[in-house]
Amino acid sequence: MTLIEVLVIVACVLIVFGVIIKSIIDKKKGKTSCGCDCSKCSGCSSCKVEPKKEDTNKL
Amino acid sequence: MYRFALAGNPNSGKTTLFNNLTGSTAHVGNWPGVTVDKKEGVYRKCPEPIAIVDLPGIYSLSPYTSEEVIARNYILDEKPDCVINIIDATNLERNLYLTTQIMEIDVPVILALNMMDAVEKRGDKIDANELEKRLGLPVVKISALKGAGLDKLMERAYETCKIKREGKTVIEDSALKHLIGDIRIALEGQGVLNPTFHAVKLAELDELEVIMHKDTVNMVEAFKRTHKDEIFGEDFEALIADARYKYITKYFSPTLRRKNKDKFIVTPSDKADKVLTHKIWGIPIFLLVLFAIFHLTFSENLFYLSAFLPADYVTLSGTAFEGVFGEGGINAPGVSLMNLMGVLTDTLSEIVAGWLASSPEWVSGLICDGVLGGIFAILGFLPQILLLFLFFSILEDSGYMARIAFILDRALRKFGLSGRAFLPMIMGFGCSVPAMINTRTLADEKEKLATIRVIPFFSCGAKLPILTAISGGIVAYFGVGNVDLITYGMYLIGVITALIAVILMRETTLKGDVPPFIMELPAYHAPQFKNLMMLLWDKAKHFIEKAFTIILASTIVIWAISHFSFSWQYLPDDKMQHSILAGVGQLIQPLFTPLGFGSQLQGFGWVFAVAAITGLIAKENVVSTLGTLASCIITGMIFDVELDGGLSAVTTMIENTNITLPALLAFIAFNMTTIPCFAAVAAARGEMPDKNKFKWTLVFWVITSYIVASGIYLIGSFWWTAFIYLGVAVAVIFGVRAYNKKRFAKDKK
Repeated sequence: MTLIEVLVIVACVLIVFGVIIKSIIDKKKGKTSCGCDCSKCSGCSSCKVEPKKEDTNKL
Repeated sequence: MYRFALAGNPNSGKTTLFNNLTGSTAHVGNWPGVTVDKKEGVYRKCPEPIAIVDLPGIYSLSPYTSEEVIARNYILDEKPDCVINIIDATNLERNLYLTTQIMEIDVPVILALNMMDAVEKRGDKIDANELEKRLGLPVVKISALKGAGLDKLMERAYETCKIKREGKTVIEDSALKHLIGDIRIALEGQGVLNPTFHAVKLAELDELEVIMHKDTVNMVEAFKRTHKDEIFGEDFEALIADARYKYITKYFSPTLRRKNKDKFIVTPSDKADKVLTHKIWGIPIFLLVLFAIFHLTFSENLFYLSAFLPADYVTLSGTAFEGVFGEGGINAPGVSLMNLMGVLTDTLSEIVAGWLASSPEWVSGLICDGVLGGIFAILGFLPQILLLFLFFSILEDSGYMARIAFILDRALRKFGLSGRAFLPMIMGFGCSVPAMINTRTLADEKEKLATIRVIPFFSCGAKLPILTAISGGIVAYFGVGNVDLITYGMYLIGVITALIAVILMRETTLKGDVPPFIMELPAYHAPQFKNLMMLLWDKAKHFIEKAFTIILASTIVIWAISHFSFSWQYLPDDKMQHSILAGVGQLIQPLFTPLGFGSQLQGFGWVFAVAAITGLIAKENVVSTLGTLASCIITGMIFDVELDGGLSAVTTMIENTNITLPALLAFIAFNMTTIPCFAAVAAARGEMPDKNKFKWTLVFWVITSYIVASGIYLIGSFWWTAFIYLGVAVAVIFGVRAYNKKRFAKDKK
């Protein structure tokens, strides 16, 4: 295997796993999984998979 | 860090102010419900940084909508250091209603009289000093749009937040005041914070307050027994609301001096609305506007000028203007820009291919065919996506989008749909994720569920490459139709499918009352160029970022599994039919046979099935998958064809699979109506805590996409099947009626 082949394989693995890991980390941080920058989106800041009813009766 | 909350009526300018104060580019929509949760930013021009929180727009602090509950909870529980109450100065009296409620909370408050430029344009005058004296709260005139008065506002807010403030009520009716006073004392004795606010809410018999303070409710009930108002009877909420408005009229209205006191002014917005929201012409005008947008974005025969061009007109091919003039006429701006993008991506592909000429075959295959073939297939559509997004943003910013909901409410109320539900649906044209979140503004749960289910049928920006590529392929290969007409037609099919689906749901399993729809129509205004450009820039950034992350990763994986067999042997391009991807594709291919792109396709027909499945990750993957695999097919079969983006990827696949025109249309329809991307599915799940409802939603999406796509394929291929579909439709209508009759009889018993 030549150096360029090794580099390409490593780069591909890093890209694929990097994207997957970043998605998981973003999800855990409460960021949306659509990739949007939340502040640019009208409902993005509340893009969480949590039941809404827990919020509504809190006073 | 100090925290200031921005509170005010919808469309009063809170988000514009928030963007100006924090340097953010938070989305400013032109209808209520755009902000459905709070947003945070930082203001850095005061001696210390201040966190600014933009709350959803509310008309009162009563808990009728989720926005009101969110804003109320934030002010009461999070205890911001200051509340900046934004007032739309062009509607002073109505906006002050919320102010009289915020004043009852123990929190420093400052009033920002916004839209002063509009007030001055009218010739009206507001005496801010007098208003300040009468309210007992600092008042600052601003124009958030023009950025005027903002520094002064924040300076005064910074001074105000350091002064402790006790809530006070504006209720002057002596009997009510006495009751509120007694409740206040009782609550203070119980150690309740913000006793004035809670006392007034209890007097209104606010449902949340009644639950929280069961013991103190007796005082109100006892008072009710002895005090009955002549006009409002026992409706204390209406009585207190009336008391607030009386106070506003008596003390604050004199601070406003109108230029035209008695004359009812017909504004330019009113004149425009007479045409644009006409009860007969409103919808046709909207359809025409939508067609114009598609024409300017996708047409290869702008304004159908080809009829006036001579038969031998010069197309200027081979020159820099080649992309402007096509075979059919003058290309629309969107098409010209797409062609320009094509020149750029071709050049880049050639340069990279040159660099990799001496590298191993699989390396150049992966990078040139796999990665670049896939990414450039969708990047080519970026100009058209941006142009479409620009047009929709102009419609929204100008105030026209809000009118659509109003027009549709009138037309479809009798079918169980309210205009309020159309606002999230229209948002679905941009992205399904915020559209589904926006359904929180719908109070009726059944209406909300029906809306969530049909939002994916309003084709989002990510589906645009699918529409454009396949439509373009159809026109290029079969020589029929126009790209803009096909794209417009498919968008309309999505909308019609959504309407039929919602009507069916609202007539059967999700039957319920149609909630009233009251919405403030914002005045028309010219969209802000700066806002539009910032939105476009964000959209472009997001698209490119997505292309070089999710799409890039997907193309690498797609290329890898299309070049390795199940025994992990590397396969060159001409042996792709033996790969893992081909095996999986051929396995699932029969599922799509009723839709026209299944087992009946020859050669590489499985590519369509695989592309549809990869679309579940991100809809852009459909075209990038076609691009990657088409590129490999061309290389493997040693065609003397250059892959020229997503369009030629489609024509390559048409050539290699003998897929028919109806099947291609069915492919578009399937991708438009099937399960949306994972992000949208997650958003839908978030809005549906009930697992069962969520599962049925997934089933609904699959069944609908099958019915629509198979219908298009079968009717397109065998015209007589139209009668079968018609018969089924009639049977469904009678079935629904019978079901409703039975249910009505059962309910009556």
